[in-house]
Amino acid sequence: MCLLAGCAVTKLPPTQSLPPPAGLFPANALLTQRALFTARGRQFALNGYLALSETDGKRLIVTENFGNVMADLLVKPDGRVFVLRSSRMFPERYIRRLMAADVACIFGGAPTLDCPVTMPETNHFVLDRGGYKLDLRIVGTKPGIQPAAMFDETAALKK
Amino acid sequence: MKITTYLLGLMLAFKAAAATNEVAPPPAANSPVVLQDLQQKMASVKTVYLEFTQERVLKLFSEPLKTEGVMLIARPDKIRWETTAPYQSILLGDQKTVAQFEFNDGKWEKLKLGFPQLLQRVMQQMALMNQGKLDALMVDYTITVTTGELTVLTMVPKDANVRGMMSSLEVHLLPDLSATKQVVMNEPNGDLMRITFRNEKRDMEFPEKTFDQSKPLDIAAVQAAVKNAP
Repeated sequence: MCLLAGCAVTKLPPTQSLPPPAGLFPANALLTQRALFTARGRQFALNGYLALSETDGKRLIVTENFGNVMADLLVKPDGRVFVLRSSRMFPERYIRRLMAADVACIFGGAPTLDCPVTMPETNHFVLDRGGYKLDLRIVGTKPGIQPAAMFDETAALKK
Repeated sequence: MKITTYLLGLMLAFKAAAATNEVAPPPAANSPVVLQDLQQKMASVKTVYLEFTQERVLKLFSEPLKTEGVMLIARPDKIRWETTAPYQSILLGDQKTVAQFEFNDGKWEKLKLGFPQLLQRVMQQMALMNQGKLDALMVDYTITVTTGELTVLTMVPKDANVRGMMSSLEVHLLPDLSATKQVVMNEPNGDLMRITFRNEKRDMEFPEKTFDQSKPLDIAAVQAAVKNAP
């Protein structure tokens, strides 16, 4: 099976940075997302659940149509990345290098790559890296402090 | 395997809907009899409409992650699984082909599927089950039945590798098997998927293009037809 994201990105297009406007998202919240991931002409509909913590970082869980977890990523405020679960569709090296950068591009942080993001409308983001394209919509926002366990990197270190 | 088992549970829900009220509930813990009873009732139902709430329960989250939708099935092999909230998405399948649509930018877009073969395989298995071939269940699963307020079929995969992904599948039915209330897929780490069904309707005629894989009929039109069905 082709590791679509990992093998598709060999060269990044000319970039333009678009840091997200401040205050787009609550500092502490759970965001529910629906995304279309396109690579090599094929499209994958995915769900994303992103927990935001002002002090503890960001935790993203990506599932496919039937709820199977395809990726589980923790990004600490200092930029450290922990991959808690990967899959054949999203291998660890893709999550660590690209998915973490995409999260920082759209939701804030210190992206390690450029941010080729546009925002066609409120809560709708399109990130196009050439090798793949992510069309992401926020479909639910629940403000509030998230459980501390979500941002516990020791769970990743125990793996 | 996990997706197949998930949809197997949905098909059992469909099949259970075929039960009549004339047959007494089966004896407890007699799983071959229960399956046989379900299988016998399969032939009588031609179409089913069900609304559902799907909850993904991950221990990490303080609340389940919910979606709402509808499921439509028409013999022998047509299925439409539509999520209506918090986003809109349609999965369609029959024995030969599958299609997925996403509602984006105010219109429906048909996706160029990444792994159509996988979905296709699942749909083909569903078609077989739709024809009443549940015997394979006994080969792959250890099945127990408990009775009480609800009759619960608990299916535990015999294969250790499969059990590593899914510890069990539960189908919760009314005691007389006349309706399925819930399907639960349990994972070894305590996470689970729970689908709760409601507003079931049977044997109505679905409008044309309900299962069309090029331009499916809008669900509101389908629901209006279902509502007005005799």
